[in-house]
Amino acid sequence: MIRRPSHRQLVVAGGYAAAGALYVLIGVMYVDFLLSFFVALAYLLIVAWLVPAGVRRIT
Amino acid sequence: MSWAAHDLEPYAIQAHHSRLKIAFVPLLLGSYAPDLLTKWYVYGIRLGPWDLKADNPAQFHRGWPGLGFTHSFLYGAVICLIFWKVLGSKNWGISFMIGQWAHALTDACDTVGTMLFFPWTYHVSFGAWAYAGQTGRLTDAAAYFSGLGGMWDLVWIVYGVFSWQVLTRSYFATHVFTADGFWPKVNRFVPMTALLVFYRAAFFYGTSRWIAWTVWAHVIHHFPYDLSWGGPHWVPAEHS
Repeated sequence: MIRRPSHRQLVVAGGYAAAGALYVLIGVMYVDFLLSFFVALAYLLIVAWLVPAGVRRIT
Repeated sequence: MSWAAHDLEPYAIQAHHSRLKIAFVPLLLGSYAPDLLTKWYVYGIRLGPWDLKADNPAQFHRGWPGLGFTHSFLYGAVICLIFWKVLGSKNWGISFMIGQWAHALTDACDTVGTMLFFPWTYHVSFGAWAYAGQTGRLTDAAAYFSGLGGMWDLVWIVYGVFSWQVLTRSYFATHVFTADGFWPKVNRFVPMTALLVFYRAAFFYGTSRWIAWTVWAHVIHHFPYDLSWGGPHWVPAEHS
């Protein structure tokens, strides 16, 4: 039986999905962006950690 | 040649952690390891005035003479022993070996296959999708995401979605962080949230680039799908 995610988990998943959508958009326009795991890691650290942390600090 | 499977398979393996104590970092490293030494030279790179590219990419990537031994069981076992006996971490060694073996087995599904039992140089090849690395990175991507290779990646994405608990913070804290001394050491300098992002990154990368390459190949460029065995047949595939 598959457990359903909580509301908070869905919000987190939605954030990653939004980050993924932007990553796909950039990657389709500039395919070199898709070639490296380390580029993806850096991108994800910025959008899923640094930016939210910065926003929390400001607000 | 596989594109996103090597990013995604470690999460499927991690989902079965209860049977094996897995360290995620060497598992992922093992999953990437066979191509770390080879992929750049298969597709070629430009270094100043020099264009570096293998004369026979498939031979270099999967063959002998060449670096095809990186896709063998023996290679994973040797690196495992180095981690275990030289560096003192059995967990890292076995985790690396599992990741590397998964890579070698997955790549055996294409038309060139892998020398799984090296030093026996026989290529194990199931021939499910075309090996097209010699055509260059973009044609290879278009071919891969038009054939069964892309569908095999999709299997791992769907499996990952159904095993979504593996990607949660609580799973990471309970099972991944505690299974390996690497995470607590890094956690002295890097917060837990960033480590969690690092842990999820390969799944994000595999899934996102699967979508991006599929859009690129079929929405932007209209390469035809060919899901027949050994396809797509519009690309000149290498064979072992």
